Formats: sequence, structure tokens, C-alpha cells
Amino acid sequence: MNKTNKLSVKDVVTTVLLTVLMIFIQLAVNMICMTNDFVSMVLSVGFTMLLCAPVYFLMVSRVHKRFVTLIYMTILGLVFMIMGNWYLLPYYMAVGTICEIILWRNGWESKKKMTAAWTVSSLLYNGVNLLPIWFFWDTYEAFALSSGMEQSYIDSFVQYYTSAGWLVFIILFTVGCGFVGSLIGGRLIHKHFKKAGVL
Amino acid sequence: MQRRNLAVLVKLWALGCTILGISLTADAVWTFVLTVTGLAYLAFQRNFRLLCSMGVFYGLLTLLLYLIQYHGLHMVVFSEFYVLMFWNLSAVFIVGFDLITTPPGELAAFLSRIHTPTPVILGLLVMFRFFPTMKAEFKSVGRSMRNRGLTAPAWLLLHPVSSCEYVLVPMLLRCLQIADQLSVSAVARGAEHPGRRGSYYEKRTSIIDWCWLFVWAAVTGLFLWIGDVRV
Repeated sequence: MNKTNKLSVKDVVTTVLLTVLMIFIQLAVNMICMTNDFVSMVLSVGFTMLLCAPVYFLMVSRVHKRFVTLIYMTILGLVFMIMGNWYLLPYYMAVGTICEIILWRNGWESKKKMTAAWTVSSLLYNGVNLLPIWFFWDTYEAFALSSGMEQSYIDSFVQYYTSAGWLVFIILFTVGCGFVGSLIGGRLIHKHFKKAGVL
Repeated sequence: MQRRNLAVLVKLWALGCTILGISLTADAVWTFVLTVTGLAYLAFQRNFRLLCSMGVFYGLLTLLLYLIQYHGLHMVVFSEFYVLMFWNLSAVFIVGFDLITTPPGELAAFLSRIHTPTPVILGLLVMFRFFPTMKAEFKSVGRSMRNRGLTAPAWLLLHPVSSCEYVLVPMLLRCLQIADQLSVSAVARGAEHPGRRGSYYEKRTSIIDWCWLFVWAAVTGLFLWIGDVRV
């Protein structure tokens, strides 16, 4: 049978459902990590990428067509836009486009390409914390101060995201978590979903 | 008392106005203007259940914000930043939840009338139905795990990876099953038909809807004028 690249109703429903699940996991991890400044600022992005990797692998493997990652990143950017960070929408769309380029030639059939796409998106996901510091620091600081947040919290945020050492650690940790998450995702797909006959 | 739903156009307009207002305002404190308008908007539609829950939620956030700002309360499990962020976003939550609880037929009919592509309509409807569906599934997974003694704190602490797997895998399998069921149901109801979709409950825009469109535009304009705009 001739298989087209046009998304069917089933593809759209699967993509949206799993995308919303990933966004829900991201928000839940952020909430839980808020208990500690270090965990929240340094480790939470990595944990998010680790937990979402199996869902991403399942989504890409199941839909088996182009533009799935772009749709996911666009919806994620829209959520950030609703939260008042409009600049994250074009940013995440650009990240989605990069991932689509990696997956362009039947990337959904190659575990290596999917791992590369998720690892790159893990690296670029750090933009959620770095863009406010680089381009919108005044607005961010004013909001943080008006919320009654202590200066020590703001100082530690600046310390983690402007010192080269911490920045390298955060990036390596996030990329490492994204990569490990991809390996786990690949194994889970093989262990459960292929055996269950859903892929 | 039966709910009096405003037209979908008004609901989308209200969501657009609140997002625009919150994204552009330079003074987060003034967002209460949008929130109060949102609560009045719910009361007008007789959506008293959502009005009560959002009213309590907003009241609680206001109390926390007051204690943080004037009595030096330090949050242990929830950052002060997020208290203001949620307080700030309350207006979006109010009109967003109101939109989500709109009958899907009305929503699909309106979006089809303005020539929205079918995948976008389907995507939005699935997104809006996600939370009630997933809540039920999550409870079901929790019950199954409890029956097998896998929710004991000691087990969760000693086997975090296995616990994650036990939750994630059935949830994902159910997600795929739900996606299949939803798509079969959508196709059976003509989702792939290229023509315009209609609804038995489709409503025309009345004078009251136009009034609310004007109210939201005026309040957002006034709010940005008072609170100043950041670029």
C-alpha cells in the first residue's frame, strides 16, 4: 500500500495526546523540583528530558511521519507563550525544525537518529532558562522582585546561569540526561510496545 | 440553574485578550483587573462551579502573595516566583477553563465555520479532553499498583526506576488505545469529510456576545493603559 506523508486523523490525535502528556510531565517535574533552588535551577531540565524521552520515542515511532517533532515543539512554545514568554514560541519552532532536519530521511526508523534529535533538543531546551537572562533580564528581575522573592534566589539564578563552570555543568547534565533517556526510551519501546503489537 | 454559554467567538476573544494583556503588561499587580473581569464573565454565564473553584484558588494565591510581600513569608515547597506567576496568570486560567468546558460540538462547528484546518480542530478537541481522560486513567493505574502492593513508600523509595516504569508503560499504552478509539470515533463521525462541519447546538452571535466582545477589548485596553506596556 502506498503510504503518504500526510498526517491522518489517528496521527494527529496520537501526536496531540502524547504532546500534552509530555508537557504535563514537564510541568509536574518543575513543580516537584521547586522545593530546592539547586535542583530547580540546575537539575530539573535534565530530569524533564530523561522522563519525557520514552514518550517522545513512542510518539515518533508510532506516527512514523515527518513534522511530529515540529508539532510537539510548536505546542510547547504556545504553552510558554500563554504563560507570557512569547519569544519562546519562535525559539521552540526553530528547535523543532532542527530536529526535523535530523529526522528528515526516515529518522523514525532509526534509533540513532531519534537519539540524536532528542539529545539536540535536550541541549537547546536550556533556552527556557537562558533566553530570559540573555535578552529579557530586566523584565525577569522586576517580576521576581515584585513577587517578593528573596535577593538570594535571584543571585543564585544569576550565579548558575552566568558562571561558565555552572553553565557547562548544566548543559552537560541536560544533554547526558537526554541521551540516557533516549537509550531507556529505545529499550522500553523494544521491551513493551513492539511486543504488545502497538508499533 | 442551566449554564448560559456565550458564543465560541467571545471565548476565544477573551482568551486572546487575557494572553495579550498578561504578555504585554509592565505591572503584574494590575492583572487583578483582568481576573475580576474573568470572574464576572463566569458569573454571567452561570458557570458557578468554575466560579467557586477559581474564586477560592485566586483568594488563596492573593493571601499567600500578601503574606510573602508584607509579612516575609518564605515558601518551603512552592517558590514565591510561582505564586505571583499563577496569580498573574489567573485570568488566562479562568477564560481557558471556560473554553475547555465548552461543548465540543459547538467548538468544532465554530472553528469549521472560520475555515480552520481539520487537523487543528481535532488537535484542539483532543487537548481539551486530555485532563478528564488522563485523570481517570491515572486513578486506574494507581488502583492496580495498590492491589499489587507497589505503592508502599518503602517500595517506591527502594525501586524508583521500576515504579516509574510501572506507571509510565500502562499510561502510554492507554494513551495509544485512547488515540485509536478517538480517531475511529472521529472518522466515523465524518472528520475526514472535506465539507463544513455543523452542530445541532451551533449558536449565532447575539447582541450579548457582541457586548462581551466589547467589554473584553475595553478592559484589556484600559488595563494596558493603566499598567503600562513592556516590549
